Amino acid sequence: MGVLHRQRWCGATGLAVPLLTLASPALLKLGGVPPSWAVLWLLPWALVDGPASGAIAGLALGLVLDGLHLGAASEVPALALLGWWWGRLGRRGVPIERSFSLGLLALLGTALLGASLLLQQHGLGALPLPLVGLHTLVAQSLITALLAPVLCSLLLLRWRRVADLRG
Amino acid sequence: MPGRILRVPALQKLAAAWPWWLLLIALGGVRLSKGAGFSDAYALLSRPFWPGSAQSEWLRSAQRTDNQARLVQLERDNQRLRGLLALDNAAEGMVAAPVIARESAGWWHQLELGKGSAAGIGVGDGVLAPGGLIGRVASVTPSTARVALLTDGASRLGVWVPRVQRHGLLVGLGTARPRLQFIEKDTGVRPGDLITTSPASTLLPPNLTVGVVQSVNDQLVPAPDAVVQLSAPVDAIDWVQVVTR
Repeated sequence: MGVLHRQRWCGATGLAVPLLTLASPALLKLGGVPPSWAVLWLLPWALVDGPASGAIAGLALGLVLDGLHLGAASEVPALALLGWWWGRLGRRGVPIERSFSLGLLALLGTALLGASLLLQQHGLGALPLPLVGLHTLVAQSLITALLAPVLCSLLLLRWRRVADLRG
Repeated sequence: MPGRILRVPALQKLAAAWPWWLLLIALGGVRLSKGAGFSDAYALLSRPFWPGSAQSEWLRSAQRTDNQARLVQLERDNQRLRGLLALDNAAEGMVAAPVIARESAGWWHQLELGKGSAAGIGVGDGVLAPGGLIGRVASVTPSTARVALLTDGASRLGVWVPRVQRHGLLVGLGTARPRLQFIEKDTGVRPGDLITTSPASTLLPPNLTVGVVQSVNDQLVPAPDAVVQLSAPVDAIDWVQVVTR
């Protein structure tokens, strides 16, 4: 576990995720599909704060977002898995901070999240998968990956400095 | 020899008046053609003064007023007759609510309304917008309500095709256009048919416009289905009416 989760104000920025999901600003949409704000917040958090904290943050975000949406499809497993995976990536090797790496991680993460939702909404047996689901998946992955270098790198640098100061 | 007959004085006068003869023949032509030349000339001259678009605009607005008045009258009449049939035992009310969050594409198709159970809204209430029914309330808090749009992948609604008098099931697909499934084989439904809520419905207000059939797939086994274009534009709506029960 890192030290970031002990900083109350850093954790409180997570509140922006449900608020942005509800507001869904029309300018930041691709083909009418909003980006995955949960992925954009979780990626820098997990990279800085480690796998356990990342998984718990993913779980918390997933629970909140599930409450905001219709139906039984859940984002919890995918987000918790992503938080754990990104936390491990941040612990080993050179720290990830290049725009391209962040964009690629966001793209893969959103695609995984979208695939889990697609399978839950349409059932594992419904092959071939409906075109509209694939359209949503691709559009959301692209817009999230395009926003990730801008938002994630800002959060990442800020939180890394906080973690260095406290740790 | 032709000059000789013209030396008769009376005929000389007649021949000298040849322009008048020509005029007479021309007028005869006008008579035979039922005044064609005059009508055309009159049309040409009077064209700037013909009734223009402004006049048709007046007529249309008068017609709209008339239609509106008749609609109110018929609705009141319908209400009274339904009351006599005891179909409408619960008093229905309308609550106007603002749309405070909207997700009309993506994984979920839902709206968030700025009024909730404190204003009398309950789960299952129909949500109307200018243009027709757009969805039903899925959950409420004291000050907000979440609406499942008809286009949501989990939305199922029984509807009615008034022209052929058939029931169908409107199934949301997660796209902008839901699918209408039928139970029988020969439905006779054509593109352009209006879709409404069932006239015998007690869960939703009866006879609400839902949409228009866009295309029909007759080849499908066991029963045909159709693609429906909803009549209310969800992306442009800021206020909705919730039908409370």
